[in-house]
Amino acid sequence: MTETACVLALDHVALTLPSTAGPVEILRGVSLSVAPGEQVAILGPSGSGKSSLISVAAGLERPTAGTVRLFGQDLAALDEDGRARLRRGRAALVFQAFHLLPNMTAEENVAAPLEIAGRADAAAVARAWLARVGLGHRGGHYPHQLSGGEQQRTALARALAVRPGLLFADEPTGNLDDANAAEVTRLMFDLLAETGAALVMVTHDAGLAARADRRLTMQGGRLEAA
Amino acid sequence: MTLALRFAGRELRAGVRGFRVFLACVALGVTAIAAAGSTAEAFRQGLAAQSREILGGDLAVTLQGRAFTGAEQAAFRRLGRTTDTYRVRAMAQAPSGARRLVEVRGVDGAYPLAGTVTVKGAAGLQGAFAGAGAAVEQVLLDRLGLKIGDPLLIGDARFVVRAVLDQEPDRLAGGFALGPRVLIDHAQMERAGLAASDSLFTQTVRIALPIGADASAVGQSLQKVFPSAGFRVRDRNDAAAGLRRLIDQLEYFLGFIGLAALLAGGLGVNGAVSSYLESRKPSIAVLKALGAEGPLIRDMFLIRIAGLSALGVALGLAAGAATPFVLGWLFRDSITIPALFAVYPAPLAKAAVFGALAAAAFSLLPLARARATPPSSLFRRDLVGRLHPGPEAVFAVLAGLGLATVSVVTAPNTGVAAGMIAAVAFAYGLLWSLGQGATALAARMRRFTRGAVRMGLANLAGPASAARTVSPSIGLGVALLAVVLLLQSTLLAEVREAAPNTAPALILTQVRSGQAAALDQAVAQVVGPLDPSRYRRMPMATGRITGIAGAAVRPAAVAPEGRWAFDQDIGLTVLDAAPADADVVEGRWWPAGYAGPPLVMLDQRIAEAAKLNPGDAVTLSILGREVEARISGLRRTEPGRFGTGFSLVVSPSALAGADLGQVALIKADKAQAAALGRVLAARFPTVTVIDVRDQLEAAGKLLDQLSTGIRGAAAVVALAGLLVLAGAAAATAERRTRDVAILKVLGATRGQALVASVVEYGAVGLIAAATGVLLGSAAAYPVVRYAFHFDWRFDWSVITVLLPLTATLTAAGGALAALPALLQRPAPVLRGD
Repeated sequence: MTETACVLALDHVALTLPSTAGPVEILRGVSLSVAPGEQVAILGPSGSGKSSLISVAAGLERPTAGTVRLFGQDLAALDEDGRARLRRGRAALVFQAFHLLPNMTAEENVAAPLEIAGRADAAAVARAWLARVGLGHRGGHYPHQLSGGEQQRTALARALAVRPGLLFADEPTGNLDDANAAEVTRLMFDLLAETGAALVMVTHDAGLAARADRRLTMQGGRLEAA
Repeated sequence: MTLALRFAGRELRAGVRGFRVFLACVALGVTAIAAAGSTAEAFRQGLAAQSREILGGDLAVTLQGRAFTGAEQAAFRRLGRTTDTYRVRAMAQAPSGARRLVEVRGVDGAYPLAGTVTVKGAAGLQGAFAGAGAAVEQVLLDRLGLKIGDPLLIGDARFVVRAVLDQEPDRLAGGFALGPRVLIDHAQMERAGLAASDSLFTQTVRIALPIGADASAVGQSLQKVFPSAGFRVRDRNDAAAGLRRLIDQLEYFLGFIGLAALLAGGLGVNGAVSSYLESRKPSIAVLKALGAEGPLIRDMFLIRIAGLSALGVALGLAAGAATPFVLGWLFRDSITIPALFAVYPAPLAKAAVFGALAAAAFSLLPLARARATPPSSLFRRDLVGRLHPGPEAVFAVLAGLGLATVSVVTAPNTGVAAGMIAAVAFAYGLLWSLGQGATALAARMRRFTRGAVRMGLANLAGPASAARTVSPSIGLGVALLAVVLLLQSTLLAEVREAAPNTAPALILTQVRSGQAAALDQAVAQVVGPLDPSRYRRMPMATGRITGIAGAAVRPAAVAPEGRWAFDQDIGLTVLDAAPADADVVEGRWWPAGYAGPPLVMLDQRIAEAAKLNPGDAVTLSILGREVEARISGLRRTEPGRFGTGFSLVVSPSALAGADLGQVALIKADKAQAAALGRVLAARFPTVTVIDVRDQLEAAGKLLDQLSTGIRGAAAVVALAGLLVLAGAAAATAERRTRDVAILKVLGATRGQALVASVVEYGAVGLIAAATGVLLGSAAAYPVVRYAFHFDWRFDWSVITVLLPLTATLTAAGGALAALPALLQRPAPVLRGD
C-alpha cells in the first residue's frame, strides 16, 4: 500500500520533550501505516508514549523528527491552523477524560465540529447522532448533568457525527465502569462499521484491543507487533 | 464571526463567575473618571447658566486705586443700564470694641442688574440701607456679638446693622474674600471716606447691554476707546473665570486618579482574563482538536471579554453619572457654586473611552495566548503555545498609547499631563520589575529558612506568585496616597509652623502717609524699638504692566504661570536703596538716592513668563498714571514672607509727588498683636488690620477639608490595588486549596499553612508599600520645591502609617485567601484531582 493510499502514515517519528531534568524521549522512531477502514489497537503500559502517539498522529503536536502524513498530507507542511482545517470533518478524537465543552449542552457539543465545518444542518445531525447513541432525550443537558457513560457516548457521537475517515481513540473506556465500558465499546465498533472509518485506539484493555483488526504494543517509545 | 458569536454566546452561560474582579476594576476606574467629569460639568453648566447673575450684568469694568472719570462713566451709560459699586477692605468695630476685617461693598440704587439680593430683617436692600444702614453676613454678627439694630463702626464712619446679608448674585465673581461681607449704600461709602484716593478700593461698573448685543465685542471696543485707562473688562462669558479654571484642574486631577485606578486595576483585568482563559484551556484545546482555528478561538473569547468590558463600563458610567446627584444631595447646604445636575453625555463618553481602552490594553495579550494554546495541551496541560507577535499585541499597544494620548490631549495643561502619565508608567514599570525581583529573591532566600516561612517564600517564588500582579497595583495606590499625604503635611507644616515664623503677624494697610510717623510710634510702644527684622513700613499701590517696548501687553501671549501679573492690577511698592532681602538674580538695584528716569525691579518668574530682561522698556499703569520705565533687574521674591516681597518695585522717581498709602508689616506675639489691635482701634480706626494668624488658621482648616476629599479620591487607587489582591487570591484559590490539602497530608498544621500565606502576602505588601512611599516622595519633592517654593520636609509619619498598614492589609488579605483552603478537608480535594 502506498503512503498516499493510507489514511495515516508515520515514518520514523520521534518526540522529545524538554524537562528541568533534561530532555525526555517520548517516541523513538515510530513507523505506522493505517489503511482506510482499518482498525488498529495500540497496547502498552502507562508512560510508554501511547497518548503522545495519538497527539502526534492527529496533528495536535509536531514530532521532533520523522514524517506524519494524514490523508496523504505531510503535516510538517501545515501550520497549526492548517492542521486544524485538515482534521475538520475528516479526523476525530475520543478521549479518556471525555473533554466535552462544559458550557455547551450535549446537543451543542455534538453540533460543534459540524458548525466549525460550516454545516448548516449541524443541529439536526447532532440530534440524530445523539439518538443513535441512546441520548436523544438528554440533548439539552450539560456535561456535568450526565453520567460518565453518557458523557463518553456524547463524545463518541460528537466524533462520528462528522463521518470522519479516521477516529483516534485514547483509552475510550478508561474512565468507565464495566457495564458502561461494554456499552461504549459496542456502540463504537457498530458505528465504525456503519461509517467505514478507520480507527487508531490506544488502550490498556486487552479485551477491547482484541476487537481491532491489528494490535501493536508500545514499549519505551517504540512500536512493536503484539 | 457568526460562529464566534454563537460559541461566545454559549460561553456566556458561565455567567460573570471569575470576572467579578474584572468588572469591579473596570467599573471603579470608569466611575471615578465619569464622576469627576459629570460633577465638573454640572458646575460648569451651572456657572454658564447663571453667568449674567454671577458677573452682575453683561459687562463688568473694574478699576483699582482711582475712580472712573466722567467721560468713562458717560461711555458706559451709553451702552446700557449701569450699576456702580465700590469694594474696599476695612475694619468693622462693635460697640464692645471687638474688631474684624471686612469686605465692604458700596452699591447704588440700580444694583443688582441681574439676579436678586436676599436679606433678612429688612424689606429689601433699600430698606437695609435706610438711615446709614448696612446689610452684613451672619458670621460677622456672630464674631462681633452683634444683632440687628446695633451700631457698627466701619473705619471711622458709623453705620447701623439693619439686615443680615444672605445672598448676593455676583458674589462668586468677586474672588477671594479676607473677611465677611458688608453691603452699604454707595453714597454712604463716599461719605465715610472709604473710597478716598489713598485707600485701596476697587470700583466696578456693571453694564446690562441690550438683548442680542455681543458682550465680548462691546468689551473689546471699550478697551479700544480707552486704551490707557488701565481698567479690566470682563464679559459674562468669563464670569468666575478663575473658578472655572479651578474646576477644570480639579476635574483633571480627580480624573487622573480615576485613570491611575484603571491602570492599577489593569493587572486585575489582566489577571482575571488570564486565569479565566487558563481555566478554559481544555475547552480551547478540544475546540482546536475538533478543527477550530486560532482566530475563531480568539474571537469567541474576545466577544465575551468585550461584552464584560461593556458591562463594567456601563456599571461605572451609571455610578459615575449618579455621583453628582448624590454629592449634590449630601452637600446641598454647603455648595455655594451654582450647579445644574443632569446626565451629561460628553464626560460619560470620555470615561467610556478610557474604560474601553484600559480593558483592551490589559486583556488582549491573554487572548493572544488563548489563540496560541496548542491542542496537545489536552495531554499536557502546562504546555504554552508559541506566541508570535500578532494583531492582539499590536492592538494592546495601540490601546495603551490611545489611553495616554486621550489623557494628555484632554488635560488643561498637556505638559504636566504628559509628565504625570510618564511618571505613572515609570512607577508601574518599576513596581512590576521589583515584583519580578522579589520572586527571584524569595527563591534564593527560602533555602535559609524553614517551616512555614519557607513555604511562604516558596509560594512567593512560584509561578502563581502574588508579587508579580499585586505589588504594582498596591504600590501605585500607595504611591498616590503618599504623594497626597506628603503634600498635605508639607502645606500644613508651612501654614502652621513655618509661616507663623517667617510671615508677619499683622499686616496694616490703608495707612495714610500723614499717619505714618504716629503709627511707627504707636507700634514701638507696644512691640519695643522698631527693628527692620520685626517692623517694615513702605508705600503701597496697585498697578500693572500694560506695555512692553511700546506695544500693548497681550496677556494670552504670556506663559500661564505668570499671566496673573499682566491681566489684573498687582501690588507694588516704591523703594530707594536695595533692602536686605533684595535677592537680585540678574541686573542690579538702583543706587541709593537715585533720581534718574524711572526704573523697576521685577520678579524673576514674571519676567521669565513674559520673556523680559534687564534693560527692557515697560509701560506701567499706576493710579491712573502711565509710567514709562526700564527694567533695572530681576529678583527672587517669596510672597507671604516678612519683607519686601512685592513682585514689582519701582524707583522713587517713577511716582514722584504721588501721595501713596502705606503698608506696614509687624512681627508680634499673640499678646502684642492683641494690644496693637486695641491701640489701632482707638487711634487709627481707618487702618485695616489683617491678622495673618487668623488667615493661616482659616487656610489650615480649608486645607484639611480639601485634603480629606483628595485623600478619599486617592484611596480609590488603593482600593483598585486591593481588588487586584482579591483577584490574585481568587485566581490561585484552586491551586492553593490543593497545595494546602497536600501539605496537610504531609503533616502540616493549619497554623503553618496560614503563616505561609501571611508571609507571602505580607512580603508583597511590604515591598509595594516601601516602593510606593519612595515613588510618592520622588513625585512630591519637585512639587513642594519648585511649584510651591516651600522647604522640603519629610513627614516620617507617612512611612510609619503606610508601611505597616499596607503590609497588614495585604497579609490579612493573604490570610483571608487561605481561609477557605484551610477549612477544606484534604480527602475530597485530593479525590477531586
